[in-house]
Amino acid sequence: MPDTQALVMTFLTSLKNATARQTAELLRSVISQQRVPYTNQAGALIDAVKAVGEQLIAANPVELAVGNIVRRVLHIIREEDLSLTTAAIGELNLSAVSDDENDDDRDGNTTLSAAAVAAAARSTLRPPSLQTLLEDTPVSAAVPQTSSSGAADKSSRSRKLKHDVIEAVNELIQDIVTCHEQIAEQAVEHIHQNEVILTLGSSRTVSEFLFAAKEKKRSFRVFVAEGAPRYQGHLLAKELVARGLQTTLITDSAVFAMISRVNMVIVGAHAVMANGGVIAPVGMNLVALAAQKHAVPFVVLAGSHKLCPLYPHNPEVLLNELRSPSELLDFGEFSDCMDFGSGSGSPLLHVVNPAFDYVPPKLVSLFITDAGGHNPSYMYRLIADYYSADDLVVQRRAIAGN
Amino acid sequence: MWHRSASFILDKNQNDTVYPADSVTLTPPPPSSISTPQNPNPNLNRNMSMSAYYQTRAAHHGVVTSDWLAQSQEAATRAVVTGGQEIVDGGKSGRAFSVIDEFNNWRKQPDLAEAVAAIRALAAVIRNSEAKTMMELEIELKKASDSLKSWDTTSISLTAGCDLFMRYVTRTSALEYEDFNSARSRLIERAEKFGEISYKARKIIAMLSQDFIFDGCTILVHGFSRVVMEVLKMAAQNKKLFRVLCTEGRPDRSGLRLANELAKLDVPVKLLIDSAVAYTMDEVDMVFVGADGVVESGGIINMMGTYQIALVAHSMNKPVYVAAESYKFARLYPLDQKDMGPALRPIDFGVPIPSKVEVETSARDYTPPQYLTLLFTDLGVLTPSVVSDELIQLYL
Repeated sequence: MPDTQALVMTFLTSLKNATARQTAELLRSVISQQRVPYTNQAGALIDAVKAVGEQLIAANPVELAVGNIVRRVLHIIREEDLSLTTAAIGELNLSAVSDDENDDDRDGNTTLSAAAVAAAARSTLRPPSLQTLLEDTPVSAAVPQTSSSGAADKSSRSRKLKHDVIEAVNELIQDIVTCHEQIAEQAVEHIHQNEVILTLGSSRTVSEFLFAAKEKKRSFRVFVAEGAPRYQGHLLAKELVARGLQTTLITDSAVFAMISRVNMVIVGAHAVMANGGVIAPVGMNLVALAAQKHAVPFVVLAGSHKLCPLYPHNPEVLLNELRSPSELLDFGEFSDCMDFGSGSGSPLLHVVNPAFDYVPPKLVSLFITDAGGHNPSYMYRLIADYYSADDLVVQRRAIAGN
Repeated sequence: MWHRSASFILDKNQNDTVYPADSVTLTPPPPSSISTPQNPNPNLNRNMSMSAYYQTRAAHHGVVTSDWLAQSQEAATRAVVTGGQEIVDGGKSGRAFSVIDEFNNWRKQPDLAEAVAAIRALAAVIRNSEAKTMMELEIELKKASDSLKSWDTTSISLTAGCDLFMRYVTRTSALEYEDFNSARSRLIERAEKFGEISYKARKIIAMLSQDFIFDGCTILVHGFSRVVMEVLKMAAQNKKLFRVLCTEGRPDRSGLRLANELAKLDVPVKLLIDSAVAYTMDEVDMVFVGADGVVESGGIINMMGTYQIALVAHSMNKPVYVAAESYKFARLYPLDQKDMGPALRPIDFGVPIPSKVEVETSARDYTPPQYLTLLFTDLGVLTPSVVSDELIQLYL
């Protein structure tokens, strides 16, 4: 454990870009170094991950991707545990069928009726639905049964659980790393010949997307809004020109003026919320409103690690981060306006530099994720697939309960 | 002149049978159309002057007026009188009699949801049945469920509850390698447990909505919904500071009951007449309503006035949240307000109305999904598009 603490500390002090992958790698090492007891291994793993996850989320709450990855890993642990348990039940039932007399001695084994086995055999952790409304939860009843089985079984199972979980986390890391390619593969379906694309600021996903379309010999033009105050649009414009794309650079305020000449708006996102709303770099809401006014499709590219199961109204979600005013103003010129010593003791000039914007779901036409293109109203489905309801609040609790 | 749609003609026919020739204050309704449980003729139900569902709701949540009291007493005496005749009928209708009777007994409890009462009644059918095979039992259940549904065609959660249970029975009985008795006892056990499920559902919904109620917010509520009451109660217990604007909810005036309950919890409440909603909408932060049924498009069917409130809220960009349990999802797809079967409820204007004047007595309206922001259900917080997804998964 001291090893992982040190890792966590170094991680916390250097939270920057590519945090999703680093979070996943950190959690992988936490899991592999965690000692698991014989019974309830999944519980121990979940506790360990939650402990680290709490610290990570608290360190930088604006970076929602960290929380997303923590919840994904928790969901993976629960799923792997469930599939291992159901496999064990399957084996148990086979042996139960073969010698009936012994079973009558063992309490409860015979009550694992066919229905419970069939239900447990659906080994994926499904979200609650109308179909399962009237049914029992078979797994929680079944777990005590399996713990009464042989000890040799258990130790191999414990190793297997960790092994499975780490494999799944590796897959997750692979997904995160390759999400740009998977999204870029879909570029040809959306960008057509002689189109005009508008984007704001700079996003790696968007640039890969546009390059992929260029590779496939589509000729199109790009309007890049510069994305004040960081002006990352300038960098994107340079990259696009280097690839041979006709580019036009405009200010953010000119978006409304130019939008009528645009066929499609393609942007990246910082995070996608559960209702389909988007947290994006500042200025995006402006572009979205302009696009809606002129009926231009507003397409958001987001890897699945950016999909957050929380709603924007949730008090845990910090919708914005206020950055340093130095990006806007030069301190030298304005130092007397912002001086605390002058006059009444508080400066008359305040400079607010928010980093993000919230775009409501009704302004978004399409989400392109590595799992395909979706409607904003479909986001709940992806969330149900990737996350468990128990993990929405990442806090260690003595009693896990609803 | 008024010929808007064919359904206009349908309505007119029904209205004709409803109203007596001379003026009335509140109807003790004409004897032929009183909604007693002993109504064996399903055809007569369609011309009922009153929706039994909304009557029960009024009984539970409405304000007791002297007129209502007189009416209910009359209904009770009539029930006693006609009750004796039905027992004479043969075994089959005798069983139907007991299902509906059982259902009514359960329904009388004010805290019990309609669907739960229906499923409990069907559980009683299983218990009393003499079937020896699953197929026989299924057929009996189907008959009982059909009779329940036809007895009150206006109650959506009743229909949805029956369908859900039938679906569950069909799927369970598909596991053939179980013996009949254990399957039967498990069906009964799950049906009884369903009451707990529904109660837990309200708790889950209340917990999910806590994050959406922030300190200092103003919530607009329409009429009396037990689920919304649970939400507000939990928020008050969590020491959130909020205030509630509550519409009166004519003609039941169930809003008055809600205001009473909230006052007991020390929540600041303001009562509005139904027409004052647009006037106060700008000080409202969110609208919270329950639902009698959630239809396939993601819209809801709820007490009359909900559509109006949703329209006003939408035009002023206020979110409309619906709190509904998942067993209220129904396989209906109304295209306009008149697409559903009419559920009528007489209105007491306090003064005599001349017979030539028609009264719109529908008790419910349909709110299309584009005016709703989110649905809070025991399956989670969902967007309206989820409903059809869930229904497809269930019925496919």
